[in-house]
Amino acid sequence: MGRETLEKLDAIRRGELSAVENVQRALERIKKQDKRIKAFIELNPNALAEAEAIDRMLKRGERVGKLAGLAIGVKSNLNVTGLRATCASRTLEDYVSTYDAEVVKRVRAEGGIVVGMNNMDEFACGSSGETSAFSPTDNPAAPGHIPGGSSSGGGASIAAGLCDLCLGTDTGGSIRNPASHCGVVGVKPTYGLVPRQGLIDLGMSLDQIGPIAPDVQGAALLLETIAGKTPNECVMLDVERVSYMSRLEGDGAKGMRIGISPKFAELTDPAVMGIIDGAVEKLRELGAEVVEVELPNLERGLPAYYLIVSVEFFSATRKFDGRKYGKRIEEVCGEEVLRRILRGRYISRKEYRGKYYQRALQVRTLIRQELMRALERVDVIVGPTVPKLPHKIGEKISVSAMYAYDYLTVPANLAGICGGVIKAGDVSGIPVGLQIQGKVLGELDVLKVMRALEAAA
Amino acid sequence: MKVKIGFEIHLQLATERKMYCDCPTNYQDVHPNTNVCPICTGMPGSKPLSPNERVVDAAIEIAFMLGCEVITDQTVYIQRKHYDYPDLPSGYQRTSLPIALGGELQGVRIREVHLEEDPGQYDPVAGTVDYNRSGVPLVEVVTEPDIRSPEEARSFLRTLTRVLEYTGKVRPEAGGAMRADVNISLEGGGRVEVKNINSVRGAYRALKFEILRQREKLKRGEVVVRETRAYLESQMITVSMRGKELEEDYRYIPDPDIFPLILDKARVETVKKQMVEAPHLREQRLVKQYRISPAAAGVIVSERELADLFEAVAKEVDPKLAATWFQTKLKKVLNYMKLRAADIKFTPNQLARLLQMVGRKRVTPEQGELVLRELVKEPAEPEELLRKLGLAPLERAELEAAVAKTLKENPKAVEDYLKGRKEALNFLAGKVMKLTRGRADPRRISKLLRAKLRGKGKRRKISRRKARSRVSRA
Repeated sequence: MGRETLEKLDAIRRGELSAVENVQRALERIKKQDKRIKAFIELNPNALAEAEAIDRMLKRGERVGKLAGLAIGVKSNLNVTGLRATCASRTLEDYVSTYDAEVVKRVRAEGGIVVGMNNMDEFACGSSGETSAFSPTDNPAAPGHIPGGSSSGGGASIAAGLCDLCLGTDTGGSIRNPASHCGVVGVKPTYGLVPRQGLIDLGMSLDQIGPIAPDVQGAALLLETIAGKTPNECVMLDVERVSYMSRLEGDGAKGMRIGISPKFAELTDPAVMGIIDGAVEKLRELGAEVVEVELPNLERGLPAYYLIVSVEFFSATRKFDGRKYGKRIEEVCGEEVLRRILRGRYISRKEYRGKYYQRALQVRTLIRQELMRALERVDVIVGPTVPKLPHKIGEKISVSAMYAYDYLTVPANLAGICGGVIKAGDVSGIPVGLQIQGKVLGELDVLKVMRALEAAA
Repeated sequence: MKVKIGFEIHLQLATERKMYCDCPTNYQDVHPNTNVCPICTGMPGSKPLSPNERVVDAAIEIAFMLGCEVITDQTVYIQRKHYDYPDLPSGYQRTSLPIALGGELQGVRIREVHLEEDPGQYDPVAGTVDYNRSGVPLVEVVTEPDIRSPEEARSFLRTLTRVLEYTGKVRPEAGGAMRADVNISLEGGGRVEVKNINSVRGAYRALKFEILRQREKLKRGEVVVRETRAYLESQMITVSMRGKELEEDYRYIPDPDIFPLILDKARVETVKKQMVEAPHLREQRLVKQYRISPAAAGVIVSERELADLFEAVAKEVDPKLAATWFQTKLKKVLNYMKLRAADIKFTPNQLARLLQMVGRKRVTPEQGELVLRELVKEPAEPEELLRKLGLAPLERAELEAAVAKTLKENPKAVEDYLKGRKEALNFLAGKVMKLTRGRADPRRISKLLRAKLRGKGKRRKISRRKARSRVSRA
């Protein structure tokens, strides 16, 4: 299990499958299925030409990059020269990127071929994929249900096999949430590990770009490709490059200390929790030591998160003033985007200084300390990703119910730690993902636990 | 009525690169929107680079110049100041918290120094924005309300500009780079902020107008409300922009995309060690070290390059002579030619040799000044310039011959002089000057003339006595 990505790369390198064939197939699948799924907003007209270039290099025996010939979907809040970075919003529907995001540069340098721009919740504001101004995305793993969000297109693309790997972004769970609902692998890296240059902001102090993949090795490969500092960005960790691939297998989960918290069961639907408990049991069988950790303030993260993200989003959207891009954001955006802008505008007022934003930052510190303390005792903390199963597309749920999807994912963003998601099982056919939260720069441990589960499945 | 005036002054820092990207800062020299990149135009997704280190060092130096204490080993956040204007590509301006506090200049307390970035340039008539200036670093100096009159304000701003230009770290005001907001209040009235002041003269005029306006209101028993006003350069008046209740809320937040600055002590000390001496301190040192007059020292330190030149020259020649020449002749020549000391092309050595010649009286001060003018225009060795100007020093014999000739040809003037009409000497000296084509020192001419004339007078007296004795003997 879980060798899909590497086997395809080998086939391309050996000439059994050409890059053109691979990309062609991806484009055909998208053409056939995406009218229904709506995982893509725009396709790259040069994708085949780029694949031909890879094939030529292979034919000449030249060295190719580690993603050579793979079809990559890119979330629409990342800049790819010549394609539209719409953020699935009317605000930017005509905005054509003039430059490549740093992660896109790195993917291309390793031979990855951008096949198109993935659908998403508008400006990444949402947990269901339904706030896209263009169309909601279906969940290929549970048709008729939401795929989760905000990297809805990425999760759905991988679940339906529309492309090989996807770049998603995660501010409060936007990679992990769709990975869980779609039954695929997703990783939110440690804050500051992956450059954000070229990522259109939601919450600058929380945003991270990460991989969505059909298997752990695919996720590790893409993460290796995009991670590491660049002089072109200020707020980054001092990490040159990372390498996971050679160290993924080893002893698996054997001897690893795995933390669980009673808090998770309090916040989570019992049906979902049942699947999670099963996964924890499996890890124990694989030789991991399971330890209980205290996370008493975990649920306080959610309100703090929504205050912080709203203030930062308000600031980030001031540039969409209607002068440079034609449309003023407040005039054309959907209601969730507007809600966050107005909330951010309101609570950042001078007279409320110290009352909301400052308090939220204090809670953030509290959560961070709590998670750090727990992670001193264990290698990773495992638990559910989303407290509930995904609702049906179009089903009306309240704002607070929508926000409640994020209870378990926002703490990792507030703390700046990493987290990965892998399918643990399903409840009447709907996937449930296990979330593995790791230390700062603890991606390898997270990937190892995921790989151990994957290999044992 | 007591007047209180305080300033917030913005100056552009003269770095080659912008504050948060690598674009060049020479925005005035290039076509609109050519010194731009995704960062300084705020393209979606762009993130700032780390703050330009040279900008930070320049601000530290400026803070020291103003006698401030630099905040070391503490986090200094760079904040986003949100407001909506076409020239602001991201809808916020990045502005740091104070990097230094508590200075003093010319009796005015400096409250703080912090960093900002310039927005682009908006042309409301054409409806266009040029982002070349966007992201050019600024330093903002905030004073306490210690200034009492428009005249004091003008003098303070001039000194401030001089001190800051002295560092070489700010763009000279010639580029119109100074921008100031002024706070002014009269006893019994509210504090009024005047924005949009672009020059020292503008500040003076705006203040004159405001004091008049506020004083008249108070005299009539009206209330001067706390408000923000704009100065209209063309009409030399201020108009109300917004009242206190409409005060803009900038919704400051620390910029999440930039690590806060931490100025570690060692770095600040390094800047301090390498920085240029503040002009007022240098002035005091020059007076002490070279025993020159404070007035001369004041002129010499007015431009850093002038002071540097002086110190180089003072090594070679009598500093007092050099000081006099800098204060009077050199400054005069530069002013006349509308040049700054930075434009000087001649070497300190060339000037030193000229002054040595003056000191040894090989050339007269007048000739020296002629040579100096040439030196400024087209630098060369002073000896060469003397020859070029036909001012090669006169041989004593040649001068004596000219004097003799003059005395012989002007018996009337000689007669007058000997009869006690001293002004005749000037006439004779003029004649000698003409004969020697101005190559002789007037003082030397007068001296020689007087000697010769004294001789003539004596001879005459003797011959008269002789005549008398001859008569008596007869």
